[in-house]
This record gives sequence, structure tokens and C-alpha cells, in this order.
Amino acid sequence: MIASLRRLGLLACALLAAPLSLGMETTTPRDMWFGAVEQQYAELSAASERLEASAARFCQAPDEAHKQRLEDDWLSAYQAWQAVRFIQFGPVEQNSRGWQLQFWPDRKNLVGRKVSGWLKAPDAPDVQAIANDSVAIQGFPALEYLLYDDAMDEQVLSDPAVCDLMQSITTHLADTTSALHRDWQAFGEHYRNTPRYTETTLASAIQALELLEEKRLGDPMGLQGTSANGYLAEAWRSGHSVRLVESTLEGLRTGFLPGLSALLREADAVALAEAFRDQLNDALAQASELQPGLVPSLEDEEAFRGLQSLYLNISQLRHLLGNEIAAELGLVRGFNSSDGD
Amino acid sequence: MHRRQLLKAGLGSVAMAMTPLSWSLPAREEAAWLFSAVDDPSGGHYIAGVAPDGQTRFMIEVPERCHGGCLRPASRQAVLFARRPGTRMHVIDGDSRQLAHTIAAGEGYHFYGHGVFDPAGRYLYVTANRLEDSAGLVRVYDAANDYAHVRDMPLAGIGPHELRLMPDGDTLVIGLGGIRTHPDYGRVKLNLDTMAPALMLMDRHSGEILARHEPSHHQLSCRHLDVAADGTVIAGYQFQGPEWETLPLICRLDADGHFSELTLPEEVTASLNQYTASVAFSRISDTVLVTAPRGNRVLLLDATQGKLVASPALPDAAGARCDGNGGFLVSSGQGGLYRVTPDLAMPELLASLEFRWDNHLT
Repeated sequence: MIASLRRLGLLACALLAAPLSLGMETTTPRDMWFGAVEQQYAELSAASERLEASAARFCQAPDEAHKQRLEDDWLSAYQAWQAVRFIQFGPVEQNSRGWQLQFWPDRKNLVGRKVSGWLKAPDAPDVQAIANDSVAIQGFPALEYLLYDDAMDEQVLSDPAVCDLMQSITTHLADTTSALHRDWQAFGEHYRNTPRYTETTLASAIQALELLEEKRLGDPMGLQGTSANGYLAEAWRSGHSVRLVESTLEGLRTGFLPGLSALLREADAVALAEAFRDQLNDALAQASELQPGLVPSLEDEEAFRGLQSLYLNISQLRHLLGNEIAAELGLVRGFNSSDGD
Repeated sequence: MHRRQLLKAGLGSVAMAMTPLSWSLPAREEAAWLFSAVDDPSGGHYIAGVAPDGQTRFMIEVPERCHGGCLRPASRQAVLFARRPGTRMHVIDGDSRQLAHTIAAGEGYHFYGHGVFDPAGRYLYVTANRLEDSAGLVRVYDAANDYAHVRDMPLAGIGPHELRLMPDGDTLVIGLGGIRTHPDYGRVKLNLDTMAPALMLMDRHSGEILARHEPSHHQLSCRHLDVAADGTVIAGYQFQGPEWETLPLICRLDADGHFSELTLPEEVTASLNQYTASVAFSRISDTVLVTAPRGNRVLLLDATQGKLVASPALPDAAGARCDGNGGFLVSSGQGGLYRVTPDLAMPELLASLEFRWDNHLT
């Protein structure tokens, strides 16, 4: 087993991080996915708690250093979410938690409307009021509005009403991600004992790559039949769209690739595992070379070419997983079974 | 234009070779066309009319994915409905194989994908959402008057889905899903913790709610149903709660109005993955069929006994209706059209088509 891990190079590092994967002869691909995702949810929960603490510190002492720390912690928690966003089943579906963390796409600017609505309210909402309100006020995009939107030039973030709103959102976010982590742990036995979750996990990762290609990059870049529109990008307010894409790719590398490689090894298709790993590394390398935002690259020819290269890398990655690997593993995706009514 | 669309869907040669229509067989059990919402492999949306042998068919391109449909009695029309949160319904003329009307839900409303006619084929009852207050409605349209909107009948609940007419001709039976959605939020489910689903009976003339039966768990979303000749209703749920829990997914309202949930073997219920799609009675026997696309199977049940008869595998099992001979026709999201009968060990593949069938056959 160790020899084959070395052959897979990077994979060995990723495997060492997963507590379940070594020293157990019977470790299955699902065991590996479960353990890796458990760590990703743990990181999301921890990063959200850091963000909550950072918001509280800033509101007590609103100086530049605390503001910078708050922005950093917001981004790092948001990235931790991107890393595990490829899991679109299980506890994240409960109470629409995925939508609570990130309501997007937001073609009607519901986030802006919700936040500005609360800012005009006579009393800032408490955590319960946030929990009872719309998904548009509950997640990272609402916090991004408070931290970065132009409209916030006229309102000071440290204003008690703004701070109360921000703290209610960060506390709700920390509660949600902590419950998500706990529920994933409880979900483990069912996940590992139910064979169909192998297909569910693969289909979920394919869907995440499709979302990345078509919605997160293709739509704002104008590659889906309509003209380019930077407002369709995630995190356009803060200019971190490409950093979020990079985090999703990184999350696939640490959370998804090890289990996939094991599965393909069982199917005697190591070459496909290596191809996926190499393509993923290419996409990651390309993403890391680009500037953090997507919008500025729409106006700059050379920067746009860089973005196009990333788009192509991700498109190839999606093809590899959704066509070649899915065919090798006999995965057939349903029409009504994935999106019925 | 029409022809080019057919070619685009890869069905040109078949469509050209189409045999004459057989509308001389007007009985519902022997309808000449099966209608279904379908998508082609490139994601284009169509309404397909397919002969029960699966071989002869026509396609009409529509702007949004459709869902359920109903036949208009004493006519050659069928109506198909845009899928939630769609805003149109399409009247298809089976003779000309053309779109006869498209009716918009109107500003501030959307449809849920299902409707049913009165016995005379005049009034059409359609489940709809009034967006300003998320009120679930039955909207009434007059087919004799170019499908003009007549009135709305509120359900005092959220998310009505499939509805059918009871054998008395006066009572509607309605699956109330309980899930609040809003087009601004796409398909996000906005009230999973406060859902209040029900199986409801409503007087179609007065709009009076005659019965409201609540499932045993508030996250059991009551969606699809069918009615037997004796008035027995079987309805299917979709469970919105934790996927590691196993709850009953089928309920029954018997001819005496007694409501219950069917207890199937736990491993069978668990294998459905919290989801049922179409329900269809055979109309000849007590057998009812339920499709379970996420379980890749169909269930055949004895509706009187409330017992499972068989649960054959059928990939992405979607739409279902009786075949008039005691069996069923079942479509698959993967393109197959199957015959399923209680005495066949395995579904019989009638045709394999290059498109993806949505959840219902009409």
C-alpha cells in the first residue's frame, strides 16, 4: 500500500492528514472521504469561531489592526467553506445550511437589500432574528457587504447598530458551522455503511466542478451565451472571486482526491487517478498565478487570458471526472434523481 | 422551424416516419398519446407526445422545463405545466400536434407543475403560489373561454403540488407539499423547520376545505397522488429531514375517508432515499404503482391491503400511468419507456429514447 502511495506522489501527503487512512487494512474510499471532510468541517467551524471573536474584538476596539484582522478572518472562514463546498448532501442540506452560508447567485441583489434593510431598522437584530430571517442575511456575502460595499462608505462599520448586526451574523454563522461539523460526525456511520454514498460523493464533486465552470467562472466571464458581467461573480464586492475558486480546488485536493484515488485503484484505473491529480494541480497552479479578483480581469486582455486558461483547466477537470472517470466507474447520473420535484 | 428543432433533438427521421394518429380510441386508458415533459441531451426543453409503443412521437419546444400534465376530457387537448417555479402552462392539440395556447400564471404567481379538469373538460384547476404572501392556491381557468382565469381558491397552506378529481366529480384531492420557495431565491427551500404539509380535500365549486390530513412528521412533504375508482387515494411523500432517518413515504386515504401511512419493510423504505415521484392506480385492480427515482426502482402495492407486492429495479424511474390492461407504463429519466405489471419479474423495456423524461406521464 505504501509503495502505491509513493507512486501517487502528492496523494501520500494528503493521506497522512486523514486520521483513518493509515494502519487500517479495511479503509475504504468512503472512510477516507468521511475523515477528510470531517477535518474540513472542523476547520470551517474553527475559522467561523475565529471570525466571530474577531468581529467582537473589532467592535470593542475599532482600530485599523482589528479591522484588518476581521477582514482576514472573514476571508479565511469563507475559504474554509469553499474547500468543503463540494459536499452537497448530508447535514449541509438540513435547513438549507449551504444556502445559509452562501446565498449565491444573487441576481436581484437580495443580499444588498436585506443588509441595507436591517441597517435602517430601529433595532439591530439578535441572533434569533437572523436565524428566522432570509438566507440572504445569514452568510458570508452579507458580511462582505458590511465590510466592503460602497454603500458602507457612508456608514461606519464600528457604529453600534452596524456592529450589532455584524456580530449577530457572525454568531449565527459560528452556530451553523459548529452544528454542521457535529452533524457530519454523527452522519459518519450511516455514510460509511451505505454503499450508494460512493456514487453520491462522486456526483456531488462533478456537480461542484460544473458549478465552478459554468456559474462561478463562465457566467461572469461571458462564456455561457451572455455578455460578461462582473456582478455575477462571487465575492465581487471584496474582489476575492478567484481566491474562492482556488480554495474549492484546494479542498478537492485534500478532501476528495484521496478517496477518489483509492476508488480508482480498486478499479485498477490508477492512470485516471494520476490524470485527475495532475489536471487538478495544473488548475491550482494556474489559479494561484492570477490576481485575487475576477472583475478587473474582464477589462484587461492579458489578465483575461489567464482567467481563460483557468476556465479551460477546470473544464478539462470536469470532463475527466464527469465523463471518463464516471464511465470507468459505471456512474450514471439521474435526471429526476438529482433534481426532481 | 419545427422541423429544425426535431432534427436538433436527433429525432428527425423518426418524426418524418410518423404513423397516423389514432384518436378514435378516446377512452382514457387507451389514450393515443402519452404526454411528458422532456429535456434533450443538450438541455433543451420540450413537451413530447409519444405513442404507447414508444416508437411514434412528436416534440414541441418550450422555453422552460415542464413537469406534470392532464388530459382535457371530451377533447383532443392536453395541458402541460411548467415545473416549479415556472410561470406558464401549455395546451397541446393532439390532432395537429401543435401548441394551441400558452397561458401565463400572471405577475406575482407561479405554478407548481400540476392541474386537473372537471369531468366536462371545461374548468381547469391548477396549483399555484401567490408570491406576496406565499399562499397556496387552486387557480381555476375556463377552457371554454380561451382558458380565462376565473377565480382562486386558497388552501390555507404553502406549496400545493399534484391534485386530482375524486370519483364524485366535485371534490379535489390535493397534495400540499408545505415547502415555501420564492423565484428570487431560485429553488432554495425557505421554511424547512416550519413546514406544515397535508393531504387535503376541497370542494371544487365552493372552495371549501373538506379535510386536511397531516403526515406523521412535519418534514414529510406530500406531493404526488392518484385516486382509484372507489375513491381510495394513495399519495407519496418526499422527506426533507435528515437522510439517515427512515420515515414512511406513502399514505392512504381510504374510501371511507380514513387516513393512514403505509408501513413497508424498513429496508424497502430506506432504499427509496426519502423520495417518491409519480403515483398511478391500474384502474382495473387494486394495484397502485409508485416511482422512486432516487431508489432506482418502482413499488407495486396492493392499495386495499396497504401491502407491498413487488419492488422491481428501474433506473431513474420517473413518470407512470396505467396501460389499460392492469399494468403500467413507466418512463425513466435516462430515456427508457417500460411496461411494468404485477406478474412480470422485471420491467419490460419498450423503447429507449434520446431524451430525459421528467417525473410524470399524462
